[in-house]
Amino acid sequence: MSNTTKSTTTGFYNYRVVRQFSIATVIWGLIGMLVGVLIAAELTWPDISMDIPWLSYGRLRPLHTNAVIFAFGGSALFATSYYVVQRTCGVRLFGGALVGFTFWGWQLVIVAAAITLPLGMTQGKEYAELIWPIDLLIAAVWIAYAVVFFGTIVKRRTPHIYVANWFYGGFILTVAVLHIVNSAVIPVSLTQSYPVYSGVQDAMVQWWYGHNAVGFFLTAGFLGMMYYFIPKQAQRPIYSYRLSIVHFWALIFTYMWAGPHHLHYTALPDWAQSLGMVFSLILLAPSWGGMINGVMTLSGAWHKLRTDPILKFLIVSLSFYGMSTFEGPMMSIKTVNALSHYTDWTIGHVHSGALGWVGLISMGSIYYLLPRLYGREQMYSMKLIEVHFWMATIGIVLYIASMWIAGVMQGLMWRATNADGTLTYAFIESIKATFPYYVIRLTGGALYTVGMIIMTYNMLMTIRQGQTTEAAIPGPVTTPASAATA
Amino acid sequence: MDINTLRIILLVLCFGAFIGIVWWAYGGKRKQRFEEAGRLPFNEHKLTTGNHQPKD
Repeated sequence: MSNTTKSTTTGFYNYRVVRQFSIATVIWGLIGMLVGVLIAAELTWPDISMDIPWLSYGRLRPLHTNAVIFAFGGSALFATSYYVVQRTCGVRLFGGALVGFTFWGWQLVIVAAAITLPLGMTQGKEYAELIWPIDLLIAAVWIAYAVVFFGTIVKRRTPHIYVANWFYGGFILTVAVLHIVNSAVIPVSLTQSYPVYSGVQDAMVQWWYGHNAVGFFLTAGFLGMMYYFIPKQAQRPIYSYRLSIVHFWALIFTYMWAGPHHLHYTALPDWAQSLGMVFSLILLAPSWGGMINGVMTLSGAWHKLRTDPILKFLIVSLSFYGMSTFEGPMMSIKTVNALSHYTDWTIGHVHSGALGWVGLISMGSIYYLLPRLYGREQMYSMKLIEVHFWMATIGIVLYIASMWIAGVMQGLMWRATNADGTLTYAFIESIKATFPYYVIRLTGGALYTVGMIIMTYNMLMTIRQGQTTEAAIPGPVTTPASAATA
Repeated sequence: MDINTLRIILLVLCFGAFIGIVWWAYGGKRKQRFEEAGRLPFNEHKLTTGNHQPKD
């Protein structure tokens, strides 16, 4: 509540909410990844859930996805967007008490998810499992987030809105629309409801939501991080600001239409499937344009990559972004999809994006933020950041390589037929053949999670040795021209 | 009017808008302005004074 009284009277940025969300990022990340390791072990050895319903794979899987996407990723987006929008607009966050509401409201959503999902309360829509009362709270928090963010942009003292804020703004606006449309249900009790859509329309609305959750929640917002934290950490401006404008609009114009590729060879009309495929292929251009823009920012300063572990996190995240945004369009091609769909290839693809892109860029950004929020020159241990980086990277490679092999193998086994037209393999044979790859995947995921434990330790030691600081908002903003000469 | 005609008009308008944006972004007159915009995260730093004062 201190936000309300101080917001208009003091000349300080609101670092308190950034600190809160940064700590939440690390804690929820650790918990979400631990659940991921648990369910990876359950897939390998199904008996370990001991028939306890709350620990069954079907209930914990949505807990894992919600925790890593919305609790870890969401908190990282809140933390960085609040930091970036203040610093690049030269004003304290707008909204007074609403700022605190976004933090505590979001934490309440996460806790409610952690209680309801293991109890088996679900809407059954992927990445939109939470029951309708929680959906209402999400909508309220999100609208408050939009008011805070855009309110801050409106009262900015800089003439230009920096590109990172465009990406954050696009993400906030789109997620509001996606969430509200896809969560339109008719409640029949406190915990149960039915969607207002039916049949294939319901499926299409769901995957319009689902793929744009990837495109806007897991991409546009994190591109906002890229456009601020990579230039800052590399200490040079973005490679091409003009490319960043084209990047933004190209992404906005194309991402919305890619959803149907989740419904290839289903009841969805064929033309809609082809449309989804074509737009998914077009998406390669803005994705790689953005990636190149981020990576080339280091042009002429590549040596920094050798010595700076935070920069390693940020830049390697972009190479995983490039990989998964190449793989994605390929998998959207119908004939490729006929092989890859419903196999572990999809899981590998998602995790190269989630662990590689979203995870690494969030960790790098939080490593950048924490010392600044606690008045220190750098993190407690740079050495441990380096260790974290290598554990995470090796973990990702183990994870995605094993899932590629497993996925292609499954696809080939499922489609194999004998001369008389009967299936060559029973389904269970493909599961047995997958076992070793599940063990490798579990190892990779465990390595990644141990890296997160190291990050948590590093964060706690940094906080212990530092003290909460507030950065003063600079005096009257000079024009860009005079600032450049200063 | 046929719904498909409307769809085609929308597609062409959107494509035209995108081409317009590319032209705007790469227009020679605005080069200087966008280079300055790219330096925005660094100007902020220079303007900051009295940093790191404990509070709360």
